[in-house]
Amino acid sequence: MTSTHPAAPLLEARALCFHRQDEPVFGPLDFRLDAGELTLIEGDNGSGKTTLMRILTGLLRPEEGELFWRGEPLTWDRCSGEVVFLGHQLGLKAELSPRENLRFAIGLHGHREQSGIDDALATVGLAGYEEEPVRKLSAGQKKRVALARLLLIPAALWLLDEPYANLDRTGIELVNGLLETHIAHGGAALVTSHGAVQFHGGEPQRIRLHD
Amino acid sequence: MAKWTPLWLHKLSSPPVFYGFAGKLRPWAIALALILGIAALYGGLVLAPPDYQQGDDYRIIFIHVPCAWMSLFIYGVMGIAAFIALVWRIKLAEVVAMASAPIGASFTFITLVTGSLWGERMWGTWWTWDARLTSELVLLFLYLGVIALYHSFEDRRQGARTAAFLALIGIINVPIVHFSVNWWNTLHQGSTIRLLGPSSIAPSMIWPLLTMMAATKFYYFASLFGRARADLLSLESGKDWVRQIAENEVRR
Amino acid sequence: MTDARYPGLGQACAAVLRRDLTLAWRQRGDMVLPVLYALIVTSLFPFALGPEDALLRRIAGGVVLVTVLLAMLLALDAMFRSDIEDGSLEQLMLAPQPLALMLGMKILAHWLATAVPLIVVAPLLAGMLHLPSPVMPVLLLALLLATPLLSLLGGVLVALTAGTRRSGMLLALMLLPLCVPVVIFAAGALAAAQGGLPWIAPIAWLGAALALAVVLAPLACAAALRIALDS
Repeated sequence: MTSTHPAAPLLEARALCFHRQDEPVFGPLDFRLDAGELTLIEGDNGSGKTTLMRILTGLLRPEEGELFWRGEPLTWDRCSGEVVFLGHQLGLKAELSPRENLRFAIGLHGHREQSGIDDALATVGLAGYEEEPVRKLSAGQKKRVALARLLLIPAALWLLDEPYANLDRTGIELVNGLLETHIAHGGAALVTSHGAVQFHGGEPQRIRLHD
Repeated sequence: MAKWTPLWLHKLSSPPVFYGFAGKLRPWAIALALILGIAALYGGLVLAPPDYQQGDDYRIIFIHVPCAWMSLFIYGVMGIAAFIALVWRIKLAEVVAMASAPIGASFTFITLVTGSLWGERMWGTWWTWDARLTSELVLLFLYLGVIALYHSFEDRRQGARTAAFLALIGIINVPIVHFSVNWWNTLHQGSTIRLLGPSSIAPSMIWPLLTMMAATKFYYFASLFGRARADLLSLESGKDWVRQIAENEVRR
Repeated sequence: MTDARYPGLGQACAAVLRRDLTLAWRQRGDMVLPVLYALIVTSLFPFALGPEDALLRRIAGGVVLVTVLLAMLLALDAMFRSDIEDGSLEQLMLAPQPLALMLGMKILAHWLATAVPLIVVAPLLAGMLHLPSPVMPVLLLALLLATPLLSLLGGVLVALTAGTRRSGMLLALMLLPLCVPVVIFAAGALAAAQGGLPWIAPIAWLGAALALAVVLAPLACAAALRIALDS
């Protein structure tokens, strides 16, 4: 993708702070994220990982500090379409099947070329569950449906909030595999986790919240 | 904050400055409200002559009309503060908008009660679907909606901003309601006697009315300052200036 | 990411509409409830007021209007509720689409799923109260204009309560001042038609208000949602 600031990082935070009712949640925080980079956000429960994620999506406004997207101040409409967010709430409709959920996501966010819904579901290990209502799937399987969305939607930056929660060993490997392919293709990702991440594509950048 | 706003306004919108400023002005506003209120009541209830049509019953206008006026005035202030709060995200504007709502609701309630008392004497019924009374009732519901929405949020600033948005919707709604209720009233042939006839005002009735309007306004500012100060203290409880005030209180 | 294919507006609108209508159809039991509620309320009036034809005929139009309004209020709370709970709304807000338009589609889907069934049974409700049949087309016209107006106004208010836990009574309190003009004009048209007077003026006012709301309400809804979820 061409950009007016070729040297600018994909995402840059300068002195980012957030307060909730005048209690500091985190910050000041400085970091930059380039294309082809993975950054881990580490911190204990309540250290503001999810809050930081919501700020980076543009859903929340930071109280102080600045955020830049490709060198320009970040607003929710500038980065929309280039950022995909996977949070605690997966954004899946329980009454619809995985296939219907993914078709809706594609209709809204767009579609990567050469990726089919059924192929993506097979990649995340849900072949045979295409027609099942999501409400009948287990927590881990629901997470896998949400991961399939990452495969289908075109986005430069993945914001993954606790992607390993509810997943078994093969699921964790699946997330790592998805991240490695994404990074290798020039994408970037920010991942929060309080567990160790086995990442094979080199040592990721780490941001620690709260001391 | 935009650059074109005067510096003193920008300074005043900082919570500690406003806190001190409002604290200094508040006793004066209370005193003026009391003096003017008593003078207006004396003028209205004792000095003014009885109305040739309504006798002494009309004297309720010295309460009713200033309150009705305040109910709209405060909604206007709330709307302006709400607009400022949403556009420039100034904490003080949120506080002013939300502190105004209960005061405005009280004035609206007094207007309804006094209007109903007067209606009982004039029309022989406590409530009539008169266009003005009905609009006032809708206004009360608008106020209550803003107050209820504000209090249903856990985060007070978020609640204030959301309720401010509702107040702005209400500002558009008030004239529409007034227009539609007037139309509805002509359709259904409602009562046509007015509390304040266009011709029946003598100068000896006018000055208590105007004095009472001033008194209610001073009361509003006194009450607003008190509420806003309390809200600012609790919103900014973690800040240094609040801690300093608390320490001074203890030392005294 | 040069291989991105962003969906057009039409495609995105269709996706939102199709998903919400599919969901409504999967839970069609919920669609029946407001209709049932309207039937129950309407059938209570003759019991309360006595089965005199003349009296019922006089109040029929107003009762049907208010009943439909209350039934819609009952369903209003659900407009964004499940989307907030399962995170779909966040995904919608992050999509590269104008949020106001997407919310407009959601409101349209909600109107189709809740108000249209009510409009369909409205002649039955009116018939139970002996509304004269020449007034029936005016009733349907008034409902066709008033119900989308209520859905749009309701959508803005539901968006405002998006960040709160309980919202049922709060919505009623907030909607009342907004729906007073709607009720006045819709009922005014019915009363005029029943009295043999020209009824086009109040209907025209409703139409004008609807045209205004179709443009402004989705924008207000998007703004309200951003304010209410900004925490």
